Amino acid sequence: MSVRLSSRPLVPSAAYRDLEDPTLGGVVLFAGRVRADPTEAGTVRALIYETHRGPALRVMEELENEVKRRFGAGRAVVWHRVGRVRVGEIAVIVGAACGHREPAFEAARYLIEQLKRTVPVWKEARARPGRPPPRPRPRRRARSTG
Amino acid sequence: MTEPGSATRRATAAAGHARLLLFSTARTAVGKGALDWPVPAQGTPVRELLDELTRAHPALNAILAHSRIFHDGVPVFRLDERVRAGDELAVHPPYGGG
Repeated sequence: MSVRLSSRPLVPSAAYRDLEDPTLGGVVLFAGRVRADPTEAGTVRALIYETHRGPALRVMEELENEVKRRFGAGRAVVWHRVGRVRVGEIAVIVGAACGHREPAFEAARYLIEQLKRTVPVWKEARARPGRPPPRPRPRRRARSTG
Repeated sequence: MTEPGSATRRATAAAGHARLLLFSTARTAVGKGALDWPVPAQGTPVRELLDELTRAHPALNAILAHSRIFHDGVPVFRLDERVRAGDELAVHPPYGGG
């Protein structure tokens, strides 16, 4: 069972580890990040997520079980942040591991769409006038020696 | 915190309080995320309790029309079920996770 409501950063590599299974060849992991959207109050700097924890966890567990039944997913993750999440940080991770890619894509898509519709989580934007925060510079790649 | 108007009106009959949880726009409309609401010994039907709530906070009216109600963490399908002292009733406006 990999369902999580956390005030701490969500780490995709940890979610990927929860999907590990040598019999499952198709793994799809989706991460949703907070965007610097323009609003009337300025540019979004963060989203504040709140939840009704008990019902939310129960619905998330139901979703996880549902993708196992509907899409044959051997493993699934349904993780959501709560509290303040800054622009660029991951607010949600869903993922599914299936025998092959097609059901894995379908299962992950189903998870994120259903999560947004049925899990009691709400967000409120915190915006500030001014330009959006600068984009991080891409890291320089190590020069190939080959 | 107990609602003053409602507490006065039901003071003699109230056996205790139910906990009302208000999320997102419902919390904004009321100005608080939680209220202790007086209920009589025999309990109050969900419908009646929501009527009392909207009389005290008219801004909730439009929000409740699009909200789901949870009683002790379980979705309410029958508005005649009774809320008793110590129960929790939650107002869930439309969700917006992700």
